Amino acid sequence: MDNGEAPLDLASRKLTLSDFQKVRTLGTGTFARVVLVRPAHGTEEDRSRVYALKMLRKTEVIKLKQLDHVRHERRILSDVSGHPFITNFVASFSDHDFLYLLLDYIPGGELFTYLRKYRRFDEDMARFYAAEIVLVLEYLHEQQGGIAYRDMKPENLLLDAEGHIKLVDFGFAKRLGNNDDEHAVETYTLCGTPEYLAPEVIHNKGHTTAVDWWALGILIYEFLTGYPPFWHQNPIEIYKQIVEKPVVFPHDPPISPAAQDIIRQLCTVDRSRRLGNISGGAARVKAHPFFNGVDWDATIQQRQRGPIIPPVRYPGDAQCFDIYPEEDATRDEYTDDMAARYDDYFTDF
Amino acid sequence: MSSAGFTSPFGANSNPFGSNRVDTGAMHRVIEEDENDIVTSPTTPNFGSGAAFRGPFGADSAYDPPTAGLRSPPPNPEGYPHQYNFARRTSVSAESLKPVADTYDNWTPPSHPKSPEQLERLKHAIGGNFLFSHLDDEQSAQILGALVEKPIPTKGIKVIIQGDAGDFFYVVEEGSFDVYVNPTGALQVGPDGKGQLVGKIEAGGSFGELALMYGAPRAATVISAEPHCTLWALDRVTFRRILMESTFARRRMYESFLEEVPLLSSLTPYERSKIADALESQKFPPGHTIIREGDPGHSFFLLESGEAVAYRKGNETPVKHYKKGDFFGELALLNDAPRAASVVSQTEVKVATLGKSAFQRLLGPVEGIMRRTKYVGVKSGVEEMDPLQVS
Ligand SMILES: Nc1ncnc2c1ncn2[C@@H]1O[C@H](COP(=O)(O)OP(=O)(O)O)[C@@H](O)[C@H]1O
Ligand SMILES: [Mg+2]
Repeated sequence: MDNGEAPLDLASRKLTLSDFQKVRTLGTGTFARVVLVRPAHGTEEDRSRVYALKMLRKTEVIKLKQLDHVRHERRILSDVSGHPFITNFVASFSDHDFLYLLLDYIPGGELFTYLRKYRRFDEDMARFYAAEIVLVLEYLHEQQGGIAYRDMKPENLLLDAEGHIKLVDFGFAKRLGNNDDEHAVETYTLCGTPEYLAPEVIHNKGHTTAVDWWALGILIYEFLTGYPPFWHQNPIEIYKQIVEKPVVFPHDPPISPAAQDIIRQLCTVDRSRRLGNISGGAARVKAHPFFNGVDWDATIQQRQRGPIIPPVRYPGDAQCFDIYPEEDATRDEYTDDMAARYDDYFTDF
Repeated sequence: MSSAGFTSPFGANSNPFGSNRVDTGAMHRVIEEDENDIVTSPTTPNFGSGAAFRGPFGADSAYDPPTAGLRSPPPNPEGYPHQYNFARRTSVSAESLKPVADTYDNWTPPSHPKSPEQLERLKHAIGGNFLFSHLDDEQSAQILGALVEKPIPTKGIKVIIQGDAGDFFYVVEEGSFDVYVNPTGALQVGPDGKGQLVGKIEAGGSFGELALMYGAPRAATVISAEPHCTLWALDRVTFRRILMESTFARRRMYESFLEEVPLLSSLTPYERSKIADALESQKFPPGHTIIREGDPGHSFFLLESGEAVAYRKGNETPVKHYKKGDFFGELALLNDAPRAASVVSQTEVKVATLGKSAFQRLLGPVEGIMRRTKYVGVKSGVEEMDPLQVS
């Protein structure tokens, strides 16, 4: 390995795993592992940097039939990169067994961790995070021509060192049409997280960007109470509740009328009535009384620090993340046969 | 926004939820469920493996203020739902499906013949299930046709195995089945490997419905309890495909109908699709008055199938005939003016309808939409073609 002073060219398609040193695992999902890495060579400045490397095992991607999804993830991440509340995409590459996405490292950890730690957020905190998320959805849906995110939940919201939201995990994001381009407006593949699925996804009616507004309602509810409105140990029971039951609020903690109203309006089964999907789009959401007092310009410019300042001691500090076993359980071989059949799907990486 | 009191959430105790985060084995999950729900999977299929929530903010958290008051809240304090699972949640996904109509391919759902009695029993067996209850007549007929018979000739056959990926939903036609759950989450080798008997499923019962949504590991093992059992099986891809193809075809039909409505000619494809999404299908028998002359108009109709005619008071002969793809009453989107004619079905008809208020909620006032059009012929065009326009 070259340990010289030659700068590390991250834009190069020729990156390999040996260009990086693994520090530790930051998170694991269904078929991905995200690790904190440092460049293994390059200038001293290069080597002082840290990144998050999302590793997707090809055999798992194939087994779980996620070929289309990983391609969308790579594509959309690079398209939307640069928004203040979205994790920045740096590069992608692949080797025999894995696909890799190199991302800016977001050191504050998952909003999920803080929410569980605090049990719930007060309305000011919930409003702060919800406002940043509304701006992300406005950007994806309305300024990026109809990208549905489809996996909104506290686990996929990270905090940066200043306490602002960074959305990660574009594994289910999909570009849908919203104007005169060739993309279909609705899509049919069931995906998301059980507690956050919109009713039209469960019923396979064809879904649109409106699913993200539903999920925002679930998210605000979970912020304010500490748990989602539809919950059961058996996922089928969750789905039944989602399609059949109204959202009900606990007496304790008391949820303000404005908060109850925005949650109900977002979690409306009828899409011709769902806030965010109805005429006016995100602007109507921003104008809801729940967001009274929010300075939207200040929000997008991040003029204020977040209500939680993560205890990040230095740029590569990973103490805000849970500890995960470093070994993968599955070691299925990516055979030549599979390579012949599927490698075409991975050429974007 | 206040940040007072939130300087650092990180107490010295790094695991606020202790053991409660990892104690929900498949066992108690399943035992509380009633029969129909037994064979489903936990929300988090890999739960317990990646969710080891250990000290991320351990002793080295130099920045932790000693007074952090928020350390170790009890896991299920008052006010939390009983047994709420606080662990990280994994995503789920079905295989991606694209409507074949996209590619001009043709797909006909599989159809396996059944006697009227069998159909009746099947309808009854799945009727109350939320995955089937919202289907329209065509969709349920296709689904019932697609269920395939699966004879289980002997006792002791494992139809589904705990821990295996599930792809099929089953309805019991004949015989009975035992349900076993092993607390480790999967079938093990050895005499007790299938775990404990937790239930029995008899004729008319069903199991494995989660498999119709996505491929999750089975939460139980189901074994035939007697010889000569019969099941009906339905796989996920067929189920989802039937729903998707019919929905897709109907939406495209609505969109193409909407394209023909002059009043809405300036809608973008995206807007048309939003409207198509909100249209509601209704059926009427022959001779039904769909709209009545003189009534205030609130909604607009597309004729999906069948035929209808328009009459005006004092005139026996119809002033207009409507067939599939025609529309009427669209001026109701503009105002509540009284209907200028009655429209009566001649055959059984299926209409798709949308109210003015739903239209306005989605796209704002129609006037605004009309103003977009460059040409001014819209209004007179409507007048000429539509007897409902007051002349
Ligand atoms: N750029 C990043 N910086 C820091 N942590 C990250 C980053 N990206 C992902 N993670 C962590 O890894 C976890 C899993 O990543 P994610 O992209 O959500 O994978 P999956 O698709 O498997 O859910 C996230 O929930 C988060 O904790
Ligand atoms: Mg994720």
